Amino acid sequence: MNVENVRRDFPLYERRFNGSPPIYTDSACVTLKPNQVIGAMSRYYREFPACAGRSSHALGREVSEEVKRAREAVRKFIGAGRPEEVIFTRNTTEGINLVANSLKLGNGDAVLTSDKEHNSGLVPFLLLEKKGVRHKTFQFGDLGDFEKKLTGDVKLVSTAITSNLDGTSQPAKEMAALAHGNGSLVLLDGAQAVPNRKTSVKELDADFLAFSGHKMLGPSGTGALYGKLDFLKALNPFMVGGGTVKNSTQEDFEMEDVPERFEAGLQDYAGILGLAEAVKYLQRIGMENVERHEQELNGYLSKGLAGPGMAILGDADPKSRGGVISFNIEGIHHHEVAGILHESANIMIRSGMHCAHSWFNSHSMDGSARISLYLYNTKEECDAIIEAIGKIKRLI
Amino acid sequence: MICILALIVFGVLGIFSATHREMALEAFDCVFRRVTLRKCDSGLDRRLKSQITGKLMAKNPAVARLAFRHFELISWFFTILFVASTVYAGIGGYNYYLYGNCNGPNEDGFCIFDPLGSNSKFSAAQADESCSAGPQERGELTLDGVNVELFPRIDRNAANDVVFIGCYACPYTRQSYPAIRELLARDDVDFAFAHLPVKEDIRAASDILNCVNEAGSGKFVEFNDELFSADASVLENEDGLLDAVGRIGLDREAIRQCSHSERIQNLTRLQISEIRKTGIYGTPTVFVNGEAVVGPKPLRVYARLLK
Ligand SMILES: Cc1ncc(COP(=O)(O)O)c(C=O)c1O
Repeated sequence: MNVENVRRDFPLYERRFNGSPPIYTDSACVTLKPNQVIGAMSRYYREFPACAGRSSHALGREVSEEVKRAREAVRKFIGAGRPEEVIFTRNTTEGINLVANSLKLGNGDAVLTSDKEHNSGLVPFLLLEKKGVRHKTFQFGDLGDFEKKLTGDVKLVSTAITSNLDGTSQPAKEMAALAHGNGSLVLLDGAQAVPNRKTSVKELDADFLAFSGHKMLGPSGTGALYGKLDFLKALNPFMVGGGTVKNSTQEDFEMEDVPERFEAGLQDYAGILGLAEAVKYLQRIGMENVERHEQELNGYLSKGLAGPGMAILGDADPKSRGGVISFNIEGIHHHEVAGILHESANIMIRSGMHCAHSWFNSHSMDGSARISLYLYNTKEECDAIIEAIGKIKRLI
Repeated sequence: MICILALIVFGVLGIFSATHREMALEAFDCVFRRVTLRKCDSGLDRRLKSQITGKLMAKNPAVARLAFRHFELISWFFTILFVASTVYAGIGGYNYYLYGNCNGPNEDGFCIFDPLGSNSKFSAAQADESCSAGPQERGELTLDGVNVELFPRIDRNAANDVVFIGCYACPYTRQSYPAIRELLARDDVDFAFAHLPVKEDIRAASDILNCVNEAGSGKFVEFNDELFSADASVLENEDGLLDAVGRIGLDREAIRQCSHSERIQNLTRLQISEIRKTGIYGTPTVFVNGEAVVGPKPLRVYARLLK
């Protein structure tokens, strides 16, 4: 993978902030978008800005055809068996909510999540508690604890493969096997996994997998939910309307097939086409190359940053943290670190609780500064970060 | 501390822009929390601190370090500075309202509300060629012992006394005239006009004024209206002055002869010496109920001194 070639695809790098291109390292939140993705979206608006499915004119047929191809591209990318198993959503959050609210969970059932979930993987289940569904947690990454908590009442295990907070991952495949052995369904939050390494639903044997397009070069507000066909068919769609029924009378309706029954209302066709283009882009680069690049940079950066006063969250070995370095510098608040990096060196990082308040609160911490690297980041950028953080440390 | 500063600054900017309005609200929330002894949790203080430190770091790491380490202290310093200058500006504004100048009655230092100082200029009362203000002894200004009855007057037996000392040819007297004219039109004001011919060549105007005043009560006001609106160049020759006499319907020849009379010239001389007794150092000087106001002020400044 040639990073310089990759960077040429990203128009943001043409922008100048105080005379130089930005050092963007907030990709765990949203990645930059290559020209190819922008082009695919604009193609929809220019060439066939119409409805899919409902309209039989030429434009409508074209959109339907393109959406079908997009679904196929995403299917292939996550190693799903059939395109119908891919539901387009707006993001990971929507995917998790869809499952949480469509599964037939009730009094006495329990949902098991880790203690390090993003709010999107936690709050939907806290809300279900009001309906009598119990919510239990296990320690993220701890198989022993997981097994212990995996009791007979657990109908659903919902957890992130990779934490957005520190980049560490769980043995999702083993966990899925254990859960299935217990008769529980498995919903994996792939928001931080799918963009960064090869993720196959077949191999993981996940029943559901939710992820976001905007964290993997795709347009903002795009995502997908994978579900095994039989399980999808058994779900009770909770958001219905146009596009989700075949027919209706004043009294009743006939549900559409899967996946359309879950895609209520007019869809973001441009986004869907952009997402498919993003997936193709990543496949061209090769997910193993993306992963290797992130690991190399993370190794280099973690080494450069290590030293007194620097506390990196998560696993000490950068190899198991993907592209994420979540850290605190003693004596300087993480918001200040982020602010100073931005003002002094155009380095854009995230600071705060990264939507994982529950974990920080239970550890009596008020957040961290987080660098998240992606395929377009370079060693030179890491050098700039190391230098700038060195200067920040000298402030105290 | 920085939040208080931010609140005030963004509050003012917020009048003009919506983004600043939001920041002002955030600052307000922050100040409110601090006042109620809670933590400011909007992160505004941190954001400002890091922005400032970051900007400095790119230029001078040592200064950045200083700013970062002593941020709270520096914010205090600027806040106090800011509050103090706001108070000063407030006092200045108040003075400007009362006296037409930020620095107090008859002061002429720089005033932000009147940056050109046009409310505070005056012409030197000692005769010289140009009417320009030179360095002057400035004593107390008073009407004590001055015989106001010597001057052209409108006596309505009213509650207020206004004595307007000015010179036809001097620019600041001319500038003040419209406001004075409005004062004079009020029926609760007794008015006297003391002409001080600061330039020798307009002394004739004083003589003619005295004759006009004798020719009919209140005629001097019409004459003043003419002269203050006429081009200043006509004031320097008798013909120009007499033309004005003609325009207000008086016999120019009779007035000319009157103005050359010994009696009138003595009166003028006497008037000038009476005017000097006030301690005048510049025109216009207006006494409103005995209180002196020097320089052309907005009407409100004079009106405020009325009963
Ligand atoms: C692990 C994880 N889960 C869920 C989400 C929510 O993603 P989205 O906001 O795209 O729905 C994120 C986003 O940061 C995430 O990192």
